[in-house]
Amino acid sequence: MNTYLHNYTHTQQGRLANYCRTGELISIDGLTENRVHYYRDLVYNVVDDTLQSAFPLTFDLLSEDEWNEIVHYFFSTHKCRSNSIWKMPHEFYLFVDGNDLDIKKKYNFIEELLLFEWTEIEIYMMPDVQYPEFKSNGGWLSEIITVNPEHKILQLSWPVHLKNPGNITVDNKNEYYVLIFREKESGKVQFINLSVYFAWLIEKIEIEKKPLVKILKEAESLFGIEAKKLFENTIPFLEELNSKQFILGFRK
Amino acid sequence: MERNKHVGIGFRKDFAEEFLEGKDLTPAFLEVAPENWMEIGGYWKKVFNKVAEQYPIYSHGLSLSIGSPEELDWNFLKRVKSFLQEYKIKIYSEHLSYSKCDNAHLYDLLPIPFRWDAVKHISERIKSVQEFLERKIAIEIVSYYTPVAAEMSEVEFISSIVKEADCNLLLDVNNVYVNAFNHQYDAKDFIENLPLAKVEYIHMAGHEQVAQDLIIDTHGEPIIDPVYDLFDFTVRKLSNTVPVLLERDFNIPELKELQYELNRLENICKKAWHYEHILA
Ligand SMILES: [Fe+2]
Repeated sequence: MNTYLHNYTHTQQGRLANYCRTGELISIDGLTENRVHYYRDLVYNVVDDTLQSAFPLTFDLLSEDEWNEIVHYFFSTHKCRSNSIWKMPHEFYLFVDGNDLDIKKKYNFIEELLLFEWTEIEIYMMPDVQYPEFKSNGGWLSEIITVNPEHKILQLSWPVHLKNPGNITVDNKNEYYVLIFREKESGKVQFINLSVYFAWLIEKIEIEKKPLVKILKEAESLFGIEAKKLFENTIPFLEELNSKQFILGFRK
Repeated sequence: MERNKHVGIGFRKDFAEEFLEGKDLTPAFLEVAPENWMEIGGYWKKVFNKVAEQYPIYSHGLSLSIGSPEELDWNFLKRVKSFLQEYKIKIYSEHLSYSKCDNAHLYDLLPIPFRWDAVKHISERIKSVQEFLERKIAIEIVSYYTPVAAEMSEVEFISSIVKEADCNLLLDVNNVYVNAFNHQYDAKDFIENLPLAKVEYIHMAGHEQVAQDLIIDTHGEPIIDPVYDLFDFTVRKLSNTVPVLLERDFNIPELKELQYELNRLENICKKAWHYEHILA
């Protein structure tokens, strides 16, 4: 890189930054030693506070020592890339997900808990997505259903969205789906637990843009449930999703 | 109530309604950090759009890290540029500090070594940023608690950069007061030695004394009288009127207390700049 900065100056700057990240001070020239800790404290507190408010459930779950250890390990070894600090917790999730950590043996659902908590923030904050054109009234079976595009479906192995994380046991391991979406007017984020069937159905509706009657035919053979029963289960749930502003209506 | 003419305040989510009503607080403008408002959607985007329709928006960046050793983040700057354009933001100010080093963000402002090579390095970076954004930026004098490998004075460091980069200055009067106290120099002398013609924007804030010889720039207390005095001294030295921002980030008081501070600053400006108007 073309720079006027001397190695010496770069080194001094690097040492201060490194101290703020790790708490370990290598001598810096001309430093007022009894004041430099304010920088470490300010930096660490900002990071810690941001993570605590992004992950309140995880923070409650871990003991104080466990929390401090993981936050310190993250911040001292990971180089944060987010300019916007509210996005930094996503890096924390990826860090936990991508590293071999003791904490994951004790809490085998912790990555999913972090992912669930992060996704709520992500959906709340994400840039607006263009809504499709839709009309409010139509026939459930014959018309093409339109859904709120500001959503995500997470596939999970642990019921982090259903149970207090402290009460999750190995017996709870299973296949779970949770739909997380943003209400159009209020901007509030809602989440709804989905069965495998409904997770599949929503994805079908969204991607294939076929009338429900055709999707139900496929479901009949895929899930081995008879059409009448499928129909009886599906419509009330779709009506519920409609009232919750996830299903917008029908394609114009 | 009538809007203030010169004095604005930082936009806070918890006062969004009051800003929109415009009754209890009457700032001349609102300041935001682009990092907190760019590339978002949903509820806060709607609120921000409404606020930006009602008030001029000034911006004060957090993560450009003009003092970093490494290359500028062009991708980030591109996104900042479109945010500034989208909301027709007149001022883009940033801190004369570094908040990222060796590509790791620190989310706080670290003091740059006051050294000649750093002057040259940073001036070139500011020039590149200005060229890219097609506008001048205002760099802020930050508070600092320890020098790092200094070979020149703070005022020489700042003045040299402003001159070499041909950028504007964000004069944070409270930071000058804090630094003068912490590093034992004369605040008025310091201000007189700055390139005052380049001042585009002023910040005012409160602080907290944590030891007999140390003040921390918390933005969590009301402005103290000696800082008002220094502000009065400063604005009388300027040949142009400039916008003034009241910064308050923590320990938020009742709105009427903030409005009192806005008014007190406004009155000082009015008195100091009275002759300017007559002359104009
Ligand atoms: Fe400031």
